Amino acid sequence: MRKLLEFIRSTYVAVLFILIELLALNAYARSTAYTEARLLARSNRAIGGVQAFCTGIGRFFRLGRENRILTARVAALEEQLTAYTEAGGEQKLREAFAELGPSKYRMGVASVVGNTTNRLRNYITVNRGRGDDLLSGMALTTPEGAIVGYILDCSEHYAVAASILNTAFRASGMLAAGDYYGSIHWDGRSPRYVTLDELPKYAEPKVGDEVLTTGFEPYFPKGMRIGTVESFTLNEAQMTYTVRVKLAADLTALGHLVVIDNLDRSEIEQLQESEAIRDFEQQ
Amino acid sequence: MYRALPYILLFIAATLLQAFFFDHLVLGPLCSPLVYIAPVILLPLDTRPIAMLGTGLLCGLTADYAMGIAGLNIVATLPIAFLRPNIVALLSMREDNRDEGIPSPERMGARLFWSYVVAMAALHHLLFFTLEALSWEMLPRTLLRILLSGAVTVAAVGLAERLLTAKLVRP
Repeated sequence: MRKLLEFIRSTYVAVLFILIELLALNAYARSTAYTEARLLARSNRAIGGVQAFCTGIGRFFRLGRENRILTARVAALEEQLTAYTEAGGEQKLREAFAELGPSKYRMGVASVVGNTTNRLRNYITVNRGRGDDLLSGMALTTPEGAIVGYILDCSEHYAVAASILNTAFRASGMLAAGDYYGSIHWDGRSPRYVTLDELPKYAEPKVGDEVLTTGFEPYFPKGMRIGTVESFTLNEAQMTYTVRVKLAADLTALGHLVVIDNLDRSEIEQLQESEAIRDFEQQ
Repeated sequence: MYRALPYILLFIAATLLQAFFFDHLVLGPLCSPLVYIAPVILLPLDTRPIAMLGTGLLCGLTADYAMGIAGLNIVATLPIAFLRPNIVALLSMREDNRDEGIPSPERMGARLFWSYVVAMAALHHLLFFTLEALSWEMLPRTLLRILLSGAVTVAAVGLAERLLTAKLVRP
């Protein structure tokens, strides 16, 4: 206690100085639109530089963990491939793939250079942009296959995505155990949890059940991990569940991400906005 | 306490001079002296840090009010009040400056005194005019403003020091 008091006594002037200086700077910045714009532009640039530096350090220390995850993923896929090969023979597998045609999903990788989790509208910035064939509407997932957001806009070298921790983010989710689905959204509270709303009462969720994407949106392929059921309540009308879902991805520690492009996305979107559908809605 | 009255008078004089004379004096667009920092520069060398900070805040706040600027004078004045012991130590090459009394050429030596006044005024004016301009394109003009305005401020502080030490403090 005495040491604490001594510490406070030795630093209070410096703390007071920093506090008053920040308050005065804030007052000056907000005094006119010009000062606000100029100072904000400069502080954003400075903060961006510091953030990029810190992200680089954090990424270096996460390399081991990411390597382990990737190795485990490769091992799991190798295991699946071996099982397929053993079951039907390589030739049969090739024929099956040829029959299916090329995949409608294209994958790429990107690194996170900016990520907020403490606001109501959080965004993720990645170091790939239009120049790397990234487009708005592409999905972002962790290397483990857990969704984290979808791209809203791209510059030549960067892309900004709506994080799943954005109150405007919407997706549909379903329980791995059944086909019932509901709406996924974030209530703006904990960065570890999202809500699965309007899940029909017949779904009968259980704590620990896995929640996956439905594939209804053009962003996320079906079956990607969202999280696991933490708790649930039946609504007043006893018709639907509101499920608290623990996110599979740790949004506070993002490093490298997988970018998923649905090659059919624009076709689906065009179709959904077609004149025939608009005419039908106007009837 | 015996030193309080001259400093109160100096503060009032510097503020009034700033508000009614230097803020309206047309010395060209490149010369806007900020003499209200004189009390901060001329406070006794053994002034406690919290008192330094308080004086800096008071001077900045009053100047902000007089000039109709929100916060800029405080932003520029507070660092010189806070860093003053470090500036003196740096210029005198001594870590523990135990000098007491009003900074003056007699007490500190002419070279050290004027270096100290120039450093304090330069730091203050640098912060003030850079934050006022907020533009790299105006950097040459800003530097010229710092130079010209700083020169007048240093002269005004020198004059205040003469008055303070010669007339008000000495019996």
